[in-house]
Amino acid sequence: MSDFWILLTGSLVAACCGIVGVFLVLRKMAMIGDAISHSVMPGIVIAFLISGSRDSMLMMFAALVFGLITVLLIGLFQRSGIQSDASIGVVFTALFAIGVILVSLFARQVHLDQDAILYGEIAFVHWNLWEIGGMSLGPKAVWLLGVTLLVISLIIGLFYKQFKICSFDPALAAAIGIPVAFFHYLLMGLVSMATVSSFESVGAILVVGMLIVPASTAYLLTEKLGTMIALSIAAGIVSTFIGYSASIWLDASIAGCIVCAAGLLFLAAFLFSPTQGLVVRKLRMRSLAVSETR
Amino acid sequence: MRKGKRANSALKRLMMTLLFLSLAVSTLAGCGGTARNPEAGGKLRITATTGMIADAVSEVGGEFVEVTGLMGPGIDPHLYKASQGDVRKLDDADVIFYNGLHLEGKMGEIFEQMEKSKPVVAVASYLKEEQLITDPSAAGGATHDPHIWFDVKLWMSAVEVIRDTLAEKDPAHADQYQANAEAYLKKMEELDAYAKEQIAAIPANSRILVTAHDAFGYFGRAYGIEVKGLQGINTMSEYGSKDVSELRDFLVENGIKAVFVESSVSTKSIESVIEGARELGHEVKIGGQLFSDAMGDAGTEEGTYLGMVRHNVDTIVKSLK
Repeated sequence: MSDFWILLTGSLVAACCGIVGVFLVLRKMAMIGDAISHSVMPGIVIAFLISGSRDSMLMMFAALVFGLITVLLIGLFQRSGIQSDASIGVVFTALFAIGVILVSLFARQVHLDQDAILYGEIAFVHWNLWEIGGMSLGPKAVWLLGVTLLVISLIIGLFYKQFKICSFDPALAAAIGIPVAFFHYLLMGLVSMATVSSFESVGAILVVGMLIVPASTAYLLTEKLGTMIALSIAAGIVSTFIGYSASIWLDASIAGCIVCAAGLLFLAAFLFSPTQGLVVRKLRMRSLAVSETR
Repeated sequence: MRKGKRANSALKRLMMTLLFLSLAVSTLAGCGGTARNPEAGGKLRITATTGMIADAVSEVGGEFVEVTGLMGPGIDPHLYKASQGDVRKLDDADVIFYNGLHLEGKMGEIFEQMEKSKPVVAVASYLKEEQLITDPSAAGGATHDPHIWFDVKLWMSAVEVIRDTLAEKDPAHADQYQANAEAYLKKMEELDAYAKEQIAAIPANSRILVTAHDAFGYFGRAYGIEVKGLQGINTMSEYGSKDVSELRDFLVENGIKAVFVESSVSTKSIESVIEGARELGHEVKIGGQLFSDAMGDAGTEEGTYLGMVRHNVDTIVKSLK
């Protein structure tokens, strides 16, 4: 059964991250996942210092709070005219540094970092079961990610048109009376939720990879938002399957192999995309040159 | 516009069908994969996290068990990452042994979960509170130093836990396990006496062990040597410039001749301390490499628990004497 649960968990992460990843890539904010992976550190340390426990639910709540603080601060700086990449960089390095200071001040002798406390490992999802009254209901990660996916699809589905206009033409969106700032923060809230619950289930590298790489692959293949979301999810899920097979074959880290597979899919799209692929453009150029010399 | 929309939703439907198909196919393939469960010729299949535990299990279990270790030579358990094969090793095991006391990080939580479905034993969990080193400076919650194997006496109780677990799971060979454990415990007793005697031979004022991270707390307590580490217990914690200068001043003030590096921790941090001491005109040399969180390569003397402890003791004595 372990294969089934690992693949299902990977696919759920791919779906959650694939959907929000598209919007992040379109807004040139792709690295926000990496930023959140670092900036949750102070939250974890503070939660540990207050409670003295390493209880997963509490840590996740603390991480979620700091995830939201991160996206709010990034949004605040961005809206006051600082470049997207710079505001992401400023916020996450500062917050992470606060976490490092807190550890060195109060918790030197404790094994305390995101890796040890918050980040899960996709290899172990099928052992971390959710039980109620002695009855096993399947892996916790699947429930957590399933609920996250439901919330994301629901909100994106309900406000699809608003999100679309805000992403492509914020000026138009404002002109026709859409609360641009509200939808920006709503989206960022979803990003924070998707990343934190995925961190808890499968670890950082897989989440950061799944947020960016499949969405970028989809970006190369289409210009329609709906298709791009579908392709992004598909690319993520296909990478999960290819990557997992590779990890069996190589006896290597599962998350590492999945992200590598996603990278290879991106490379394939980069070379062979029917509209923007390197090969296609070269061919088009040559045929143009040939027709000119004739 | 409308045509585009229709094409769009058709594409979506196609993608979804593809997804579910691939999910279904791989599920079938996956179930086929786990169905095979080779019997290891009636042997008890044991999976252990650290090399020290795997070594103890194979000493006690002998020919009646098949032991696989997850963390090989030179691997820092704080930084261990599981591979796909490790998932299989844990899935297929009849009994799993791990250290506990948060040595394995978040994996410890997983082991607690697995306890419900198969025998999973933390070898440190049978130690009494007063036998453990508790860090007083840690805020919130008691945290114990997990490096229990450096006090040979403590590790002997871990071996007893392994012996009792094996005897319980495989009563047919209980007598052999008993005999093997007895022989192994005897060797450990000798090693313990050897370490005490050797460390005591170091002049009292240079009986100070300086290492990269705090792995030797139990060693220091058991054998009467002061221990100082640059990093905390956890190799991931950052060391500050204050830590470096404090340790440097400590070296200079106490006239310490040698510091030690560890096989599973980078030497960079400790080198910066040596460099600092040199600038103050105090020459410190690297006394040698100690095995802390992982053993040496399989097949070598240091690839066994007994050999590893002996190597550490000899290295320390040679440089500090």
